[in-house]
Amino acid sequence: MASFMLEAWTALAPSLNQKEDWSTWLTEPSEISEQPLNVSLKHVPMMLRRRFNVLGKCAMGAISQLAIEEPNIPCIFASQHGDTTLTLSLLESIGRQEDMSPTGFSLAVHNAVSGLYSIATKNTSEITAIAAMEGTIASAIFESVGQLQCAEKVLCVIYDTPLPSVYQPYTQGNEFPYAIAMVLSRTNGEEISLSYQSPESQTVNVDTSSENELHQFLAFLLGRSNTYTCQSNGSSWTLEKTTQHVS
Amino acid sequence: MTALQNELKLMIIECLDLEDIDATEIDDADPLFVDGLGLDSIDALEIGLALQKRYGIKLDSNSDETRAHFASINALADLVKNHKSI
Repeated sequence: MASFMLEAWTALAPSLNQKEDWSTWLTEPSEISEQPLNVSLKHVPMMLRRRFNVLGKCAMGAISQLAIEEPNIPCIFASQHGDTTLTLSLLESIGRQEDMSPTGFSLAVHNAVSGLYSIATKNTSEITAIAAMEGTIASAIFESVGQLQCAEKVLCVIYDTPLPSVYQPYTQGNEFPYAIAMVLSRTNGEEISLSYQSPESQTVNVDTSSENELHQFLAFLLGRSNTYTCQSNGSSWTLEKTTQHVS
Repeated sequence: MTALQNELKLMIIECLDLEDIDATEIDDADPLFVDGLGLDSIDALEIGLALQKRYGIKLDSNSDETRAHFASINALADLVKNHKSI
């Protein structure tokens, strides 16, 4: 078992800009896929801003609500699918035997959003980009806890956009773009433990869809439940709040 | 500003997602990269691709000559004019 402190967190999706919005939405889920994303990147110079698409805007929007003061905070960026819409458009251009857009190619890599973030904020610290299947949130937390062994604080960002329709029959993705940004600390915030149960010992069956992971994790962040559990490759990861403090 | 210069500006604005910039804001003689318009190396590759698609111009990405062609809108216009007249 390992533990860490959750110093601050924010979550962002179209029409869900604050914790209260998420709280309402968890109680009464409403259709949000068609709503516009309310993110302004005016603080990012225009020549850099043009490189942010929906996925990047979502991540940047959530991070900027945190008002991080440390310019060189180590970062963990986790996304299940990355910019699949952009990757698909590149594949389609290959299919048409056209030359690929160099800008599109450079922005389709999995660490593109974290790269843009580091340029925009002049952050020269280490940055990890994670792609995981089920258990994306747990993988991001696990990596963050690992990096807290040699950093006082880390920024952990979990973000995804809906998959293009051509992929939807093959996997469960999210129905709307979202980003969760958290500052994890060694010493400051709400104490949380992370524990692991190997495949032999676990008996519960947890819904592993990413939509459900997001719901459960937000309920945990909002203090509606004291634990968050997710399954990955048969084993399970559990987060548990060890103090009574509610954010 | 000639029609060709304007055409090149519109091409650059479109292929580089410079939606906040108007063609009239780009000076024909100003540097396109770093100090002037502020384009970067990925933009250079993107412009190279656009020149190839639109005018059939193929450039060597590492030559000093290419660097000179990309200096300004005027230099790009000369490149396109010379290519058309060959």
